[in-house]
Amino acid sequence: MSQIPPNTPLRPLSPHLQVWRWHITMFSSIMHRVTGSASVAGAILVAAWLVALALGREHYTCFLTLASSPLGLLVWFGLSLAGFVHLTGGLRHLIWDTGAGFEPKKADQIALWTMILGVILTLAFWAVLFASGKVAL
Amino acid sequence: MSTDRNVGAKSVKSWKQSAHHGAGEWLAERGTSLVLIPLTLWAAYAAFTVAGGGFDAAVAFARVPLNSALIGLTMLISVWHMYMGIKVIVDDYLQGGLRGFTMFLNILLSAALLIATGYALFVLHQGA
Repeated sequence: MSQIPPNTPLRPLSPHLQVWRWHITMFSSIMHRVTGSASVAGAILVAAWLVALALGREHYTCFLTLASSPLGLLVWFGLSLAGFVHLTGGLRHLIWDTGAGFEPKKADQIALWTMILGVILTLAFWAVLFASGKVAL
Repeated sequence: MSTDRNVGAKSVKSWKQSAHHGAGEWLAERGTSLVLIPLTLWAAYAAFTVAGGGFDAAVAFARVPLNSALIGLTMLISVWHMYMGIKVIVDDYLQGGLRGFTMFLNILLSAALLIATGYALFVLHQGA
């Protein structure tokens, strides 16, 4: 223990972003935290939707005005993207938890394709929303 | 600074705690992830159903008992999953008082989301 400087906290911090060489599994790992954090905002807005609904027609109409405005739609789009990318990124983690897919090449491929799948799911979701006329700009 | 050392010494206790229920946390992270796969897809379907329908359609949707149950379950499991996820990030990047304060906010946010969801679902069914 003598080689540890006396000022070092016993609980070490994780190294920060700048110490790593950029590569795809690192990027997807960071994105998993970013999309997860963004989903917290999504959960807050879903709770706000539910409370507005419970408060009655007047409050809900006010909520809808904001939610269906161009800026509101952009926010929902961003949150759905975060949700879907976090979902597919989570699938990647669950695959890894079985012990599979750790070879560098396979890990890179899974990271890339789960991110692409998340983007595709988001675009498909919004394509259906616009095509059905439920959402319009 | 010796204060840093004290902060570290405090966390030895939490390491030892973690050694006893670390497996439970690991399982809870995976368990909530697995359950959230179908729940998230259902939420996307629910959002599609409610979108563009206005107040009456949304109220009718939320009052269907199965939908109410799934809304409540999705929020409950999501908040549990979020609480653990925020804790992992906080443990990686924050120490000492700031860590404690952020974890306090984490608990506060989790409680607020669950109370808001429970309150809203209760009110929706009172009015039914």
